[in-house]
Amino acid sequence: MTGGVVNIGYVELVGASLLMLVAGIVSWRMGLGQSRRIAVSTVRAFLQLLAMGLLLGYLFKYQTWWLVCLVLLGMCIAATQIATGRTNKVVRGLWADVFLSITVSSMVIAFIVVEGIIHADPWYNAMQLVPISGMILGNTLAAAAVATDRLFASMDSRANEIYMMVALGAIPREAAFPSIKAAVGAGMTPLLAQLSAAGIVQIPGMMSGQILAGADPVIAAKYQIVVLLMISAATTLSVVIICFLAYKKRFSVEGYYLSPALRDDAGGAA
Amino acid sequence: MQFRRDGQPFAPFADVGFSLEAGCLYNLTGPSGSGKSTLLNACALMLPRSGGTLALEGIPVDRFKPMEWRRRVCLVPQAASLVPGTVRDNLLFPWTLKVNAGSPKPDDDVLNEILSLAMLDGVTLDHAAAQLSGGQLARVALLRAFATRPTVLLLDEVEAALDEESAVAVSRLTRAMLAGGAACLRIRHRAEDGYAYGVFTLADGKMTYHQNEITADNAPATSAGKGCDSRADEVLAKLKAVPSAPSGVSPLVGSAFDPVASPRSGSPSLQSSSADRKPVEPSAKGGSR
Repeated sequence: MTGGVVNIGYVELVGASLLMLVAGIVSWRMGLGQSRRIAVSTVRAFLQLLAMGLLLGYLFKYQTWWLVCLVLLGMCIAATQIATGRTNKVVRGLWADVFLSITVSSMVIAFIVVEGIIHADPWYNAMQLVPISGMILGNTLAAAAVATDRLFASMDSRANEIYMMVALGAIPREAAFPSIKAAVGAGMTPLLAQLSAAGIVQIPGMMSGQILAGADPVIAAKYQIVVLLMISAATTLSVVIICFLAYKKRFSVEGYYLSPALRDDAGGAA
Repeated sequence: MQFRRDGQPFAPFADVGFSLEAGCLYNLTGPSGSGKSTLLNACALMLPRSGGTLALEGIPVDRFKPMEWRRRVCLVPQAASLVPGTVRDNLLFPWTLKVNAGSPKPDDDVLNEILSLAMLDGVTLDHAAAQLSGGQLARVALLRAFATRPTVLLLDEVEAALDEESAVAVSRLTRAMLAGGAACLRIRHRAEDGYAYGVFTLADGKMTYHQNEITADNAPATSAGKGCDSRADEVLAKLKAVPSAPSGVSPLVGSAFDPVASPRSGSPSLQSSSADRKPVEPSAKGGSR
């Protein structure tokens, strides 16, 4: 990047955290009971981001292909943890499915972008691969969590319909398909809203960051376009993968729908 | 028969066996909670089963893919549920499924005829399914199952939402639809309507059978074209029946549920006397589990 980066001093950084006092005061005055959570998450954000900065500094200095891949793997696992943490109350045993969908979609798209569009040198250059993967992962995990939630909610609300379809000879995929459709749609909605708002309502995070760091706004815009497109592709991919894997959790081996009464039985398989 | 419901072992009945004759309509009665629906669901492979065997025309259930079995042994659930769209969309829904990929869809004329058979004359094929009344809904759901011409029909109180007149019409229709050699077992709480060939009663975990006196209304509908309702026969002839199971001319379903502990205990095959076909003895082979 060019030289115009304004470094933030640590005094100012701590000062900025006073901004969180606004949230704290609101929580205290309104009796939201969130004060503790606000404090904890502020400190967490501080530490995690600084640690990430330090880690990336080291990574850029001593990078080897396997170290970069290890970091990427760790990011995928963390993303899976967060995503399954959100859906665990709904259905268990989704870890492998979520991991597969998030990892495959994010890594395929990240490598296409980094190698095919940005032409990173060397190919494993952490300076491109890590932030790009991170951006994609953040979006795919959110979309995958939304889609799984929606998938299972929709299947439960359609339990009678699914039951009827199975009774008429439908295979699980046919019976679940309307729900899969709804879930894929739900997973893609925030993304499409973001796409159409980009550049008008908000300057997306990455572009703002590059501009603040002193980059040419047109270069930043070009990057942002690539980023938005790759995020679209990756979230779509992950949502489709997770939906077509996860619906099976609600069907028995024989293909009938596991209604809530039948669930306690570790799949109730016959 | 035992499975876990809400995490608790649930075994409404054990050591129950029965068989159905082609062309006959049977009632299944019993106090609520006796497991009538469970029995029907188990026959349609819609529940986990701890044991027992099912056979269709002498062919054991494990020779069928589950969806192919359900295609032939069709359960019509108590709560009628329709897919979004028109009445036509609903009647043709089974043909959107892979299991029916090979068979041709019935055309609008045939669909209109079955609608009028069920006294649904006011309902057109383009009627939105969401606008149907409860009674109409139940009948459309039933017709959808009829239209696929399964070998065995399992009706779980489908008349519950109907008034007396429509219920009789549905019974007559059900009966007429058996002319092709199908069998039907229906859970029913209404008074006898004279169409049932025999009555199974499930109570206290045991099943008993009562053979009704044969009348013109309940005698086995022998073969296609010789049912009780010539108009229904015409329609029936236009609907393609499910390709019958490989061997066997007489569609029969036999079923036996055994407790897990004694999978080999012989179950009596309830059989009706005056039919000219021999019911298949359910073989007490360990069930799928």
